[in-house]
Amino acid sequence: MNDGGMSEGPFAEADRQLTICNACRYCEGYCAVFPALERQVDLTAGDITHLADLCHDCRDCYTACMYAPPHEFALNLPAALSAVRHHTYDEYLPRLTWPAGRRGAMLAAALAAILLLAVLGVIVGGAGAPAGSPYRVIAYPALLVAFGLPAAWSVIVMAWSAARYWRATDGRGWGGLASPAALGRALRQAATLRNLRGGGADCSYPGDEPSGARRRLHHLVAWGFAACTASTVAAAISQDFAGDPPPYPAASAPVLFGVIGGAGLVIGCAGLLVLRRTAASSGTAAREDPALARRGYALLAALLVLAVSGLLTLVVRDTAAFGPVLYVHLVAVAACFAIAPYTKFMHVIYRFLALVRHNSEPVQR
Amino acid sequence: MSTPEAPWDVVVIGGGNAGLVAAITAREQASRVLLLERAPAALRGGNTRHTRNVRCVHDSGDQYTPGAYPYDELWRDLCAVGDGPADEELASFTVRESASVPGWMTAHGIRWQPPLTGTLHLGRTNRFFLGGGKALVNSYHRTAAAAGVTVWYDRTAEGLEFTGNRCSAVLVSGRDAGDPERIAARAVVCASGGFEANIDWLRRYWGSAADNFLIRGPATNDGRMLATLYALGAAQAGQERGFHAVAIDARSPRFDGGIATRLDCIPFSIVVNSRGERFYDEGEELWPKRYAIWGRNIAGQPGQIAYSIWDAKVNRLFLPPMYGPAKADSVAGVAAELGLDPDAVATTVAKYNESVVAGSFDPSRLDGCRTDGLTPPKSNWAQPIDTPPFYGIAMRPGITFTFLGVRVTADARVRTVEGGAFRNVFAAGEIMSGNILSSGYLGGFGLTIGTVWGRTAGAAAAREAVSP
Repeated sequence: MNDGGMSEGPFAEADRQLTICNACRYCEGYCAVFPALERQVDLTAGDITHLADLCHDCRDCYTACMYAPPHEFALNLPAALSAVRHHTYDEYLPRLTWPAGRRGAMLAAALAAILLLAVLGVIVGGAGAPAGSPYRVIAYPALLVAFGLPAAWSVIVMAWSAARYWRATDGRGWGGLASPAALGRALRQAATLRNLRGGGADCSYPGDEPSGARRRLHHLVAWGFAACTASTVAAAISQDFAGDPPPYPAASAPVLFGVIGGAGLVIGCAGLLVLRRTAASSGTAAREDPALARRGYALLAALLVLAVSGLLTLVVRDTAAFGPVLYVHLVAVAACFAIAPYTKFMHVIYRFLALVRHNSEPVQR
Repeated sequence: MSTPEAPWDVVVIGGGNAGLVAAITAREQASRVLLLERAPAALRGGNTRHTRNVRCVHDSGDQYTPGAYPYDELWRDLCAVGDGPADEELASFTVRESASVPGWMTAHGIRWQPPLTGTLHLGRTNRFFLGGGKALVNSYHRTAAAAGVTVWYDRTAEGLEFTGNRCSAVLVSGRDAGDPERIAARAVVCASGGFEANIDWLRRYWGSAADNFLIRGPATNDGRMLATLYALGAAQAGQERGFHAVAIDARSPRFDGGIATRLDCIPFSIVVNSRGERFYDEGEELWPKRYAIWGRNIAGQPGQIAYSIWDAKVNRLFLPPMYGPAKADSVAGVAAELGLDPDAVATTVAKYNESVVAGSFDPSRLDGCRTDGLTPPKSNWAQPIDTPPFYGIAMRPGITFTFLGVRVTADARVRTVEGGAFRNVFAAGEIMSGNILSSGYLGGFGLTIGTVWGRTAGAAAAREAVSP
């Protein structure tokens, strides 16, 4: 225990548990957390944060642990590490004097984004665009501003948080981020969710029995999200480079990517929400920090709103409902852009940075 | 109390590795198989919860055991520990049968992982199952449930009811007080482990020293079924003081501390007793070949306690102790923190340091870095203890399991003192390990014994049940 934060609740408890894990090591085959732990002798708060984000929450270490409750050692590493992650998600945000705190900043950012969209919508409007075009609700340049500002804000806050996180968790400076090999391995492991494979045993989630459901559903969400991004990029290319403004036909790249991505998000998020409910009712709820669990629900619900409203705009685009539905979707997108750094969305960044650090450390045998 | 219910074909007493393997095997031939687990579901599996690998013969390497380990080599290793195999015929059967154990385990749901770090030298001979013993127990329970084995938790087998030479029922108590329930059975497999958690029983052979033993497995391993079998006339196998014991942290819980409390610092340290004197060669052999003698070594010291002392040079060469070591800027300081006489320990260390012969230190092999003119010597990995900070830790014997058990026939039937065997009572695992092990232990071989004899006993019990 080398620094200040360690005497505090989640770190002290994680340190106690990880010290036992490091003396046992039976779980080494499940994921990257244990090999990473074994490189350390004295854990710092930064090390513990790193291990917490390296943990992908497969929970195999819980079902395999002979020291899990009711054993007196009371090991519950998934819960201990998720409590540290919960701390992480707040700790590295920029400290603003106003609005103070995560909730305040999140609320202010969301309101500002919604207000901006509303004001621009009223001032600029969307007259002149053809039927079925999104620009009937709000003109293209105004839409760029309404999305661009919150997105830029988000990127700045995320980059700021990521930089603070990296400084706090990486003992060897910025070099790891410049290593193509480490970045490549980290990307591959993130893209394949290698650490949710449990060394071949799959996850112990939502209950005690092994299941690949969480990994598969997460793939649908992550790749669905990527496809939706691809849809936006394809639309931008069609419009700004090919001179082909929306609406796009069903057999076009923006619509196809959007439909596939939206469907992936809907199925993935709904499935993960069902798994969360199952976990909560199957008696395994104690394996996660309750506050982090709420943020998990919130992220899934938000993505579900985005995906459903986005798909709906496509379904109703030839009807009178198109305008209102699109408006709801745009509000949701703008608000989500604005608040992303204050939500569990940050797990994407922190986990990736944890994987980069892990892959730039020497292998021990 | 009698129940009119039809008898079970096979009742297996004990839900560790041997019991689970016996139940799964028995179910291949017998239709009604019942496994009695004394612990609640969350703590099921007995000592097996604390295991992590199995030592088996393999004629070629693979991704998990990267080299051959032929019969002759395992046999030699077995002969080299303690007084060698107890019953050569049964021991050689065990070694021979071990070759098919990994395949059998894989076919019954067990997953593997590469050798764990910090387990130098074990990678070629021992196969590590993914997640350790509790994961293995979970996997076997899944397999057993899918095969139709019935499992009752929180049930203790209190006794066996006999009609002539044949056991007719197991007397079973639950969590509630009251008369035991009579469970009719056509065949019984006793896989209920040793008696290591029964301190009174240990005291018979160890005297008051037993009061200072720590037990690495659950407190339920009290040898109740073993005592029952002796009372019914079962023949004794193994030495009374035979056990597998290692050096563990003196601060460990009395029971069930398992693997996390064991200490691997010994070969890189010197070990002194409560008088501050060395008493055994810390560098005699590679640690996996010698770790198992240190429980016994410490059990023989005054107060059954000993202290390992090392310095900053070697501090990262072994697994970090769970409770952390004592640490000070001087040897005397560490001694004082451990409650030892600082002068006596400082003198021992000074004498040891003077006797160290310069050499090329290499923790991965017998490096010949030794002492000269010191009694007892340290034959390998001897370096002066001279680099602060200095570290120390108090150690006690941690008893893993006892070897004293029941004698069995080649098909795992429990033999009687009269020279015959019970018709339909079989034994597997630690309760019969004394047929194979005498006083020393070979890491991972307990699981081998449990699996080989679980299969043997389960198959024989099913045959007996189906066609008596």
